[in-house]
Amino acid sequence: MNLLGLVKRSLLFYWRTNLGVLLAVMTSTAILTGALLVGDSVRHSLRMMMTARLGKTKLALAANNRFFTAGLADELAQKLNTNVAPVLYLRGIVANGDGTKRANKISVLGLDNRFFSLGPGKNPFGDDFSEGIVLNESLVARLGVTVGDEVVLRIEQPALMSRDIPITPDSDLSVAFRLVVKAVAGESEFGRFSLQANQIPSLNAYVPIKWLQEKLDRTEQANVLLVADDANDSLTVERANEAVRKSWRLADSGLELRKLDKRNVLELRSRRIFIDEPLTEAAMNARDGAVGVLTYFVNELRCGDRTTPYSMVTAIGKSADSNSFIPMDIQDDEIIINQWLADDLGADVGDSLELTYFVVSPMRKLDQKTTPFRIRRILPMQGLAIDPCLMPDFPGLADADNCRDWDQGIPIDLDKIRKLDEDYWDKFGGTPKAFITLKAGQRIWANRYGNLTAIRYPLAVKSDNEIKENINAKILKAVDPASIGLYFQPVRARGIKAGNQATDFGQLFLGFSFFLIIAALVLMSLIFVFGVENRTEQVGILLAVGFPPKLVRRLLFVEGGILALLGAIAGTAAGLLYTKAMIYGLATLWRVAVSGSSIQFHAKSVTLFVGALSAVAVSLIAIWLTLRKQVSRPARELLVGELKWQFFAYGPLSKRRIGLWIAALAAASAAVLLVVMSTGESGAAAGAFFGAGALLLIAGLGIIRFLLRLLTDSWSKPLASLAGLGLRNSTRRSGRSLAVVGLLACGIFLVIAVGANRHDPLADAHKRDSGTGGFAIFGESAIGVLHDLNSKAGRKSLGLDVSELEDIKVVQLRLHQGDDASCFNLNRAQTPSLLGLQPEQIRNAFRFTDTIEDARKENGWQLLNRNLGEDVVPAIGDNATIVWALGKSVGDELEYTDEKGRIFRLRIVGMLKNSILQGNLIIAEDKFVERFPSENGYRMFLIDADAEKADKVMEILSAGLTDYGLALTPAPRRLAEFSAVENTYLSIFQLLGGLGLILGSLGLGLVVLRNVLDRRGELAMMRAVGFNKAELKRMVFYEHGGLMLAGLACGVIAALVAVGPVLSSAAAQVPFLSLALIILAIGISGLVAIWMATVFALSGKLMEALRNE
Amino acid sequence: MLELINVSKDYQSPADTGSVSVLKDITLKIEKGRSVAIVGPSGCGKSTLLNIIGALDRPTVGRVLFDGIDLAKAGDIELAGIRNSEIGFVFQLHHLLPQCTVLENVIVPTLAGKNRFLRKEVEERAVSLLERVGLKDWMLHRPGQLSGGQRQRVAVVRALINQPKLLLADEPTGSLDEHAAQNIAELLVELNQSEKVTLILATHSIKLAEHMGQVLELSNGMLIDGATSK
Repeated sequence: MNLLGLVKRSLLFYWRTNLGVLLAVMTSTAILTGALLVGDSVRHSLRMMMTARLGKTKLALAANNRFFTAGLADELAQKLNTNVAPVLYLRGIVANGDGTKRANKISVLGLDNRFFSLGPGKNPFGDDFSEGIVLNESLVARLGVTVGDEVVLRIEQPALMSRDIPITPDSDLSVAFRLVVKAVAGESEFGRFSLQANQIPSLNAYVPIKWLQEKLDRTEQANVLLVADDANDSLTVERANEAVRKSWRLADSGLELRKLDKRNVLELRSRRIFIDEPLTEAAMNARDGAVGVLTYFVNELRCGDRTTPYSMVTAIGKSADSNSFIPMDIQDDEIIINQWLADDLGADVGDSLELTYFVVSPMRKLDQKTTPFRIRRILPMQGLAIDPCLMPDFPGLADADNCRDWDQGIPIDLDKIRKLDEDYWDKFGGTPKAFITLKAGQRIWANRYGNLTAIRYPLAVKSDNEIKENINAKILKAVDPASIGLYFQPVRARGIKAGNQATDFGQLFLGFSFFLIIAALVLMSLIFVFGVENRTEQVGILLAVGFPPKLVRRLLFVEGGILALLGAIAGTAAGLLYTKAMIYGLATLWRVAVSGSSIQFHAKSVTLFVGALSAVAVSLIAIWLTLRKQVSRPARELLVGELKWQFFAYGPLSKRRIGLWIAALAAASAAVLLVVMSTGESGAAAGAFFGAGALLLIAGLGIIRFLLRLLTDSWSKPLASLAGLGLRNSTRRSGRSLAVVGLLACGIFLVIAVGANRHDPLADAHKRDSGTGGFAIFGESAIGVLHDLNSKAGRKSLGLDVSELEDIKVVQLRLHQGDDASCFNLNRAQTPSLLGLQPEQIRNAFRFTDTIEDARKENGWQLLNRNLGEDVVPAIGDNATIVWALGKSVGDELEYTDEKGRIFRLRIVGMLKNSILQGNLIIAEDKFVERFPSENGYRMFLIDADAEKADKVMEILSAGLTDYGLALTPAPRRLAEFSAVENTYLSIFQLLGGLGLILGSLGLGLVVLRNVLDRRGELAMMRAVGFNKAELKRMVFYEHGGLMLAGLACGVIAALVAVGPVLSSAAAQVPFLSLALIILAIGISGLVAIWMATVFALSGKLMEALRNE
Repeated sequence: MLELINVSKDYQSPADTGSVSVLKDITLKIEKGRSVAIVGPSGCGKSTLLNIIGALDRPTVGRVLFDGIDLAKAGDIELAGIRNSEIGFVFQLHHLLPQCTVLENVIVPTLAGKNRFLRKEVEERAVSLLERVGLKDWMLHRPGQLSGGQRQRVAVVRALINQPKLLLADEPTGSLDEHAAQNIAELLVELNQSEKVTLILATHSIKLAEHMGQVLELSNGMLIDGATSK
């Protein structure tokens, strides 16, 4: 036999104790490994979902509201030597045939076979891309339709120019089609396609691109390009963008260069009416003599008492061209009018003429302004002055046969239109009646969409084509296509990043299981230490026969190590089952926590190894700590079994107070942490919470240790009662006592901490500072609402019943779609959706938990108006969005690219307490419009209404705005949906904590059993001197009941202090009654465990123990 | 071989109320190969004296010289080595390892010391010793299958396995019946002579003490003059 043989003998001989240790290690390993594997599984599933939604797509060019030629795809495919799919990507609404079921906010994709070649390969259209609609599985499930059924598809009609400009009519916002469902696109038909990093399947409707182009009058146009990687897997964003620079044409930016024969000029104009600002400079510099043109629709021209209604006026640049009718020395307050106008107004050179026109304010509001000019010249009605081409193709105007057919968004008083005006329209069309300098025009008619409607280039000796080519080339060279939205984004890399940085369920479950793991380790330590204590005499004899203490410790450590290793191996296997159980839980009971996503089991061998190794390491540390104490006793004490009589070592007074010092130190540290937490350092809050709680537990244990010491010191005083004897007994085996107290305290702490953090979203939902912001209804629409829902005019324009909506107030928010950064999205949002609002509209609503400055008392929303410098935009977000979904805190920045390809940074200036705005970042509307001018209208709504009238209001608005795809939800319900995720997490936490408590109770029962079995001799003696069994049971019960109560008190106090900030906050929803009941239940179950263990340990013939002694 | 010079041992009493003196100024000298009984009533300090001689405890004051080495000053590791190779100990309770066979129990001390690599020689010696005490047929049994007297014989053999110079026995017959006690006493005397090992035993049994060459009487922690010797 050698030393290992001795270890082997011991392992087998003490198999019961060792089995207990092994099972405890197995439990902790299973929980630890299982938690990590849940993380693996979620990450793996997200990766699979990312592949399902992007297929082979590596890069995407998403120009959203801008349209380019679909032919760009072919050019790029050739240059990049890969598959490039053009897509016409629009928002829409779809309803089943009878309109009983509808889905708002769906993605409508016009596509061809190239799109499906990026997916898993199956093409649901087959060879027939002529018509029909293919719905993805989520959409089919939502509508309850199947192949062959009819659906009504409503698509947002892209406008030539922003819908926010009132001159654009709002009568053709969307267009509807009745279509037959041709097929259902599952995952293998690329049905999960989405550019948003979100595991929730989007609602997709696929139609042939040619059909859609035709229906929307967007022939050969697309607004999204999807690019697969090349054969060498070497495609980069830079290379793709370079290819765009080399391939793009003026038509891709909506520009057209045409020759005006009568004028002998080339004219550059835009399909978008206004030429984009980034193009203007390049276009003006493309050829000498270029003249900028800005034509505007004015309401009235007045000279004295006489007026001319509704006319075109052109601001035009000065030109050295001898043919130009604009003199070089014209002043910015001078105006040139044509003879017709002069006659109509009776005006003459030198007279004052007033221009009255609308300028655009948010929500299509029109402010009427007037500017006076002095008439410089009157042009005869001939030659260059008669130029209807100066009027851009204003929608609703350019194609009108007569003035009464004008279909503009601005209010036109048809009564003001005279026969004279109709005749002018018939004869001269949109020919401007007056001209001012370009500088003056751009000053009074400035807008965010552009400051020129055309640029004219004089033709000279060279051939027209040569000049045209030259201008074309110069513009293309000077302009970065990214500045007009033609740039690629690395969607796959972002998707991978979003998945890698996703909510770490491994850590989450480790956190949830923390106390369970601790409980298992404490239980393991208890069993192990009991095993070692059983063998104290053996240890003594080994020491007595000359084994150095180190060798004895090593022998026992090797025993423990083998058990830990075996336990870890078994635990790893059990961990697989535990993971499956957790995943089953996430698919059923806790499906809200993963937003109903399907999580697939996935185990990485490295995770199994790390889990097992960590469990072994932690177990070995626990065993080592146990052994350090056990083998440090002298051999003679061990040999006479003195350990059984071990009390606190009687050290000097300073050592006796060590518990008190530990308590003071831990309490002070906890206080510091709590202060940090209360100052609102959000990132540290969660850590501080646990840290402070743990420290307070340590403080409590320190105090209990000190109290036990005081009880020991009081031995000189005579015992007064059986309870006193019981309490004194609790000072024996201080380690056991403290372990039990600690375990219980942890469990109780867990229950209270979790319970206190539960939110009842419906309580106080009507208050302004609650998560609903005091709003009764939350709404989102698929198509932007252009009008002011608060004004009578706006409501009237939308056809809403004004009388029924008198008392409501609506906060309208613009939306730039990005990643969902709410707790529903397991991925880490890379660029969250942006909301634009006017801070004044939302004053005092919601509650700020943190701001860059102490702006909580004033209105935190005003921070959105702060000027933080160029390219820095202040943003506000919800706590869950900023901290959990983005991993940021107040003061941090995020990088965005605006629709002109300019990179700007969002700086988080304020954080809201959990709210219905979760998932988005909010910026000021003016900054939003500056960055995303082509995002039309408002797509999110916060509605103030009486709670009693909320249902009626929802009914009216839903019915009135059906074509906008407006979906309304009571705000408390939306908040409840967010809270449900958090509360589900808490439920998991509580359940695993409950398991920890079961282990704790097991530990308590074990300690009672062990203590009583150790003392059967002395208990038999007490029986011999006259105590009856009931009295002995009572004594044992007092002893352990005291310990349990100490644990309860320690846990309750620690938890109450740690969750103090939560309790004191106005929004806290602490369920005191249920918490009290839970604590009571734990207390009762603990007492039952003690009583049962006592009864069991004192059963049988107790007096025989006396004879054995 | 063994010399105690002015050895005293005090124990701290609970709650800092002072100390209790267990041994007082003991001075004695024991020659190699002698057999010595230390007798006295319970609580007189016999076991403490034996523990100090056996390097299981240290004196509060005084010197314990074992073959010229002062045990009071030796370090823990050195003491463990001395206990392992130079001293054998037999206790009132046998303290056998229940998980090991009789033979394994005997060779347990060899696992720690200088003999740990001499497995074959050690086993041969263990078998030989067990044969001498009449336990060869029991050597593959577990302690639980042996009588009290047999267990104590195993404990004696275990104490001798490393061929110690000094064999200490603390009330070795205290838990045995008269017949078994007689057998153990005879065994110890026989081993003292055959193995040339110095034997010191603590007992309150006059009968057992009579087997020893010298009897020292301890009372209230002090040696009483008039030790008898054969």
